[in-house]
Amino acid sequence: MASEPGLVRPAAPLDRQARTRRTRELSDGHFALLIGLPVIAFLIAVVGYPLIYSIWMSLHKIVFFGGYRATFAGLDNYASVLHDEQFWWSTWVTIRFTIESVLLTMVLGLLIALLLNRRLMLGGLIRTLIFLPWCVSLYGAGLMFAYLARSQTGLGTAILGLLGIDATTDFLSGSSIIEVLAIGNAWTMAPLVAMFILANLKTIPTRLYDLAAIDRLSAFETFRYVTLPPIRFSLFVFTSITTVLSMKLFDFIFVLSGGGPGTASATLTYQVYKRSFKELNLGLGSAMSFYLLFLIIGSTLLLFLLWGRKEKPL
Amino acid sequence: MKRREFGLMTSALALATALPFRSAAAAEDFKASSGQPIYFRGWQFATDVVQSNVKRYNDTQAGKVDYATVTGDYPAIMEQNLMAGSELDVLYANPSSAVRYYGGGWVMPAEELPNIEEIKADFLPQFLDAWSYDGKLLGLSYFASCRGCIHTNLLAYEKAGFSDKDFPKNWDELYEQVYALHDKGIETPILPHWFGEYFGISWGFVFEVLNRGNQIADPRTHKPLLTTEASGAAYKTLAAWKKLWNSKLVPEEVMTYSEAAYIDAYASGRYVFSPQQIYDLQVFNKVGRSQIAGHSTILPVGDHPWGIIDSALYLMTKRDRPDAVTQDVKKFTSWYGYKDDTGKVAIAERWVQENMLFSAYKSVMDDEKTAERVRKAVARPDDYKTVLDVYKATPFPAGIWKVVWSEEFNAYLKDTLANFLTQDGDIVATITAMNDKITELNEKYGI
Repeated sequence: MASEPGLVRPAAPLDRQARTRRTRELSDGHFALLIGLPVIAFLIAVVGYPLIYSIWMSLHKIVFFGGYRATFAGLDNYASVLHDEQFWWSTWVTIRFTIESVLLTMVLGLLIALLLNRRLMLGGLIRTLIFLPWCVSLYGAGLMFAYLARSQTGLGTAILGLLGIDATTDFLSGSSIIEVLAIGNAWTMAPLVAMFILANLKTIPTRLYDLAAIDRLSAFETFRYVTLPPIRFSLFVFTSITTVLSMKLFDFIFVLSGGGPGTASATLTYQVYKRSFKELNLGLGSAMSFYLLFLIIGSTLLLFLLWGRKEKPL
Repeated sequence: MKRREFGLMTSALALATALPFRSAAAAEDFKASSGQPIYFRGWQFATDVVQSNVKRYNDTQAGKVDYATVTGDYPAIMEQNLMAGSELDVLYANPSSAVRYYGGGWVMPAEELPNIEEIKADFLPQFLDAWSYDGKLLGLSYFASCRGCIHTNLLAYEKAGFSDKDFPKNWDELYEQVYALHDKGIETPILPHWFGEYFGISWGFVFEVLNRGNQIADPRTHKPLLTTEASGAAYKTLAAWKKLWNSKLVPEEVMTYSEAAYIDAYASGRYVFSPQQIYDLQVFNKVGRSQIAGHSTILPVGDHPWGIIDSALYLMTKRDRPDAVTQDVKKFTSWYGYKDDTGKVAIAERWVQENMLFSAYKSVMDDEKTAERVRKAVARPDDYKTVLDVYKATPFPAGIWKVVWSEEFNAYLKDTLANFLTQDGDIVATITAMNDKITELNEKYGI
């Protein structure tokens, strides 16, 4: 059949077509740009417009009473923010909350991933159950942690009760509220981190662990030299992501502590909300939100300089 | 025909013609005619009751009322909706928010309702005054209550060796007794009004200062009136709070409580005194809901009243919509907020029966069924009179609530007072800062 002339003859035009196609073929970069274009256009529409409008608001004094009025204020709002004691307090609260949240999330996520990487009975079910907290709304999680941490209904009081101690625990105090918030935040984010690290762990060839066993590496050495190197990039990426998510968290904090007691847990997002929507000072609130944006960009940039640039994706 | 006979005859004639006309008009007046939905929003309280009330209106009056609740910081969220001209026609509001919304030009006063004179004639005078701004009644009665009356756990009180005759007559005596109760072994004698809602710690300060005999701002000019002398109401209040905080008798977490958590905490029976809503007497005396059921009372009026008027209105928005829809909004508001098509103040009466929410209408409060409902909620027969006395004497902070900056000052007060406690603030500096804030807000709004 293959030697029939009718079937062999079209070979020459096909070659020509293939050559033409090769010359028209897009580079990887162009292809990526092409498929990314709709997303870029979407982002410009949904992020670009509000961003530009926020910049405009931050440069104006906006009044709603007696009819909407906006007067140009230059950089006054930005200067006012820097003179606001509450802003500096909230910056400190945000940094403290973010550091605690990120550390807890990453450690917890890594531990869950290592656990799930083992052969487990009902592994699929356990993976699903562990992933569930990520699916819980932050509002619901806030309510739940408020109940768990409160003396009236809390876990601490229940445990003391089981031990026969008639006392209550007060975790929603000024000294421990940030820790309660960080634990709750880590509870919601760690499953996602765990799933991605787990996916990464699954790519490590088992023969590397066999070799480690032959070389009689301890468990810690095996983790350090076999497990850690391929997941370091993922750890960096998720440290950056959880940093950003923690800094811009609002609803969970609003529900759990309302920024209190007093202003003990008033993060920058809470302060922006208060200035913008309680005091109706949208110009000042917008200016403050840009400081928050600078803080987020600065933190991730610092992470990249100290850690990320040393890492390469596998 | 004698003059008297003529008078009787014309009266009878007028009555005979007016009655059928009136009932026919009443039946017709509330029927929705635009065919458009009316958006009705409120906070989360007994939503099943509201839903069934709305359903009754929709079923009987061809209405298309769309009811939903709003979760979170209610006054701020509603303000954003009003400013944005969102789909919102009727809403709940506290009087202070109502004044702000009216000042912003986002709501229309109840004066625009056709039967407003009849409605106003049925108002209890103190609420007509509290809910009027610029001489106009802003909304219709949702509930009219007293927040901050001192609920008392008789089980613990009597166990500590106290009885009715020892009841404190003023705030100073109350605090003295708190320490006396602690000395007798009660670990947490008081649950103060320091919870984390917008009507928590800030309102706690407002009613204590008012009860002690001072205004926070002038009711007419809104100029600040707090004084820094040690004998002043604000100073005495903050000094008492600081002492209580430093004594560690109050768990710090109370500042993060929601209202539900605050009610639950008192219902647990761990506390002796707590300033609460007057209508929550029925919660605290309910078997299965409260650990002190049948043993919860409120302190009678002594040297001064307790608490402040806590109330809410149904407001109508002024958003851009066709006139026919606006007419439907008025019909629904009138039906829901006052008399329905049967001529009864049915919704308000139902609130009394279901949740013991008092009304601003005389016809509801003077009704024997209301009295019967209150009697059922109290622990002892004599408590009925106490409830009515406390309710009648409750003051209203017009200086800071009948002004457009009310909610802004309230938010400021909430943070300032919580920081005063948690950061061991200076009393004089805190009072001075409050006065300065009022002055700043007056300047901001040109008052």
